Amino acid sequence: MKKILLVFVLFLLVGCSENKNELNVLNWSSYIPDEVIYDFEDKYDIELNYSTYSSNEELLAKVTSAKEGTYDLIFPSDYMVEIMKSKDMLMMLDKTKLKNYSNIDSRYLNMDFDKGNFYSLPFLAASTLIAYNTETIKDNITSYNDLLNPKYREEIVLLDDQRIIIGIALMALGYDMNETSDTAIDSAKEWLLKLMPNVKLFDSDSPKSFLITKEVNIGLIWNAEAGIAMQENPNIRVVYPKEGFNLSVDNYAILKGSKNVENAYLFIDYLLEGEVMKKIIESYPYYNVNTKTNELLNSMYLSNPASNISDDDFSRATLVKNVGTAIKKFDRVWAEIK
Amino acid sequence: MKKENKFFKYLSLFPISFYVIVLILLPLIYIFCLSFLTSDYYGGINYSLTLSNYLNLVDLVYIKLFIKSFLIALVSTFICICIAYPFVIFVSQKKKIVKNIIMTLVMVPFLTNSLIRTYGWIVLLRKTGIVNTFLEDLNVISSPISFIYNDFGIILGMVYTLLPFMILPLFSAVDKIDKSVIEASYDLGSTSFKTFFNIIVPQTKVGLFNGSLMVFIPAIGYFFIADLLGGGKLMLIGNLIKNQFLSARNWPFGAAVSISLVLITFGLVKIYQKIGGKMDDLGGF
Repeated sequence: MKKILLVFVLFLLVGCSENKNELNVLNWSSYIPDEVIYDFEDKYDIELNYSTYSSNEELLAKVTSAKEGTYDLIFPSDYMVEIMKSKDMLMMLDKTKLKNYSNIDSRYLNMDFDKGNFYSLPFLAASTLIAYNTETIKDNITSYNDLLNPKYREEIVLLDDQRIIIGIALMALGYDMNETSDTAIDSAKEWLLKLMPNVKLFDSDSPKSFLITKEVNIGLIWNAEAGIAMQENPNIRVVYPKEGFNLSVDNYAILKGSKNVENAYLFIDYLLEGEVMKKIIESYPYYNVNTKTNELLNSMYLSNPASNISDDDFSRATLVKNVGTAIKKFDRVWAEIK
Repeated sequence: MKKENKFFKYLSLFPISFYVIVLILLPLIYIFCLSFLTSDYYGGINYSLTLSNYLNLVDLVYIKLFIKSFLIALVSTFICICIAYPFVIFVSQKKKIVKNIIMTLVMVPFLTNSLIRTYGWIVLLRKTGIVNTFLEDLNVISSPISFIYNDFGIILGMVYTLLPFMILPLFSAVDKIDKSVIEASYDLGSTSFKTFFNIIVPQTKVGLFNGSLMVFIPAIGYFFIADLLGGGKLMLIGNLIKNQFLSARNWPFGAAVSISLVLITFGLVKIYQKIGGKMDDLGGF
């Protein structure tokens, strides 16, 4: 018994030793396959402690409530980078430490939320698109306003996300999706009330499954979800609406006070390798922002419009911005249309 | 010896005291304080005192939302009562062993997580689900029926999930009624309808209110049922609170809604005590 206790205590002591080679990563749930993490640990002999979150707000809450240095590397979205930057939470990045820096698609660099990419670098991008089943929907849908057609009663699934859905209503009416004036928000509310009879349900977790099981035939859903749905049912088509669409970019960022900065750079550089990113993209078909990976991906991925944006479509992409306390207006509209 | 006993008493009370103080009382105090603060530009908390979170609640949009939630909860409670009464009266007339078996069966669903059971309903009732496919194959219906993703779906989910909470207290109340009183009622020429309302209901009103409370209160807050079976189209008070913390980044307002809900619950419990209910019975068994 005593021996077991001794072994146990020794084990604990080893666990507590200071000069441990580790990295604390906080990332979105289901975003990097386990295989990629194990390979990294083996290759560099670094212990990677991986925790997850499911919204930017949760990320912010986790980081601010933990002791400085608890987490090293995080993956905030565009507007959260801006928030964290202004709260002075992020470390300035030294791009000379990243030999794979040149692999990044320049379309995703130098974006509004971090001009010059001083604090963040793009990891993956996603957008909200219209996806519909051409077996049952014979019309050619090109615009958000096409969805108001009374023919499509109870035929639509929407993301359960107030900023994106109200943003789409704003774009349908010709406003910017980050507009916060009372008149714009009011007309967006009216537009959504007109759309509601056509909406069967709201879901953010797995809206693709409703398209696949034919519960509904139209969806306003994440591009990766649409991509997977298209693999299941080739009759599903995606549309980049002519009024514009929401793009969101998730980024690498290192927290101030990080104790494992060098390891964080190693991990970023590792994920920037073409082969590694290929494994990620194949599991989660979001937009690839790595030019090297594009050369390696098979034609099935590259020909799928849900996973690849043309330059023409890209020009209509809009990022969700932090609107500050105006979020209360969005929230009130959300309670009103539901 | 006596001292040891006392020590043991405190020791055995420790887990529950710890649970109540650390996991219920402290968070509630935190939420209470939070409800008087304001949110800043980035969704953080500003330490300036205000009543605006409560004043903002007095808004037609939120009042409508409260009324809708209460209606859903009320209808669910009523349906639970309608199902539970005949059921417990039927069971109470059985032999002891049969009673025990049936009441155990009532609790069996608790062995499976309620989320998984809710997903089960989706598989059964969706447009291409088992029930619709079956009815269509039999040519009973020509196009699928929308069972879920509407108010019906929400009420179905609430009734299904919460029915045991109505059955258990109602059963213990009905089971305690002296059977000879019911027999006497029939002997004196009363109809079963009259016997039910004049004999059974008055004697079980505490159990009835107890069960109603245990169904009504969760029915206001179970946002996952509104999300899964209602298709997220109807916002209940529970959804409103969840949104304030997760998407609107307005924690103080969410806290104010939560505190209002706690106050309403307290009010209902007070009514329960007024009509003669004992707090001990709210434990359910």
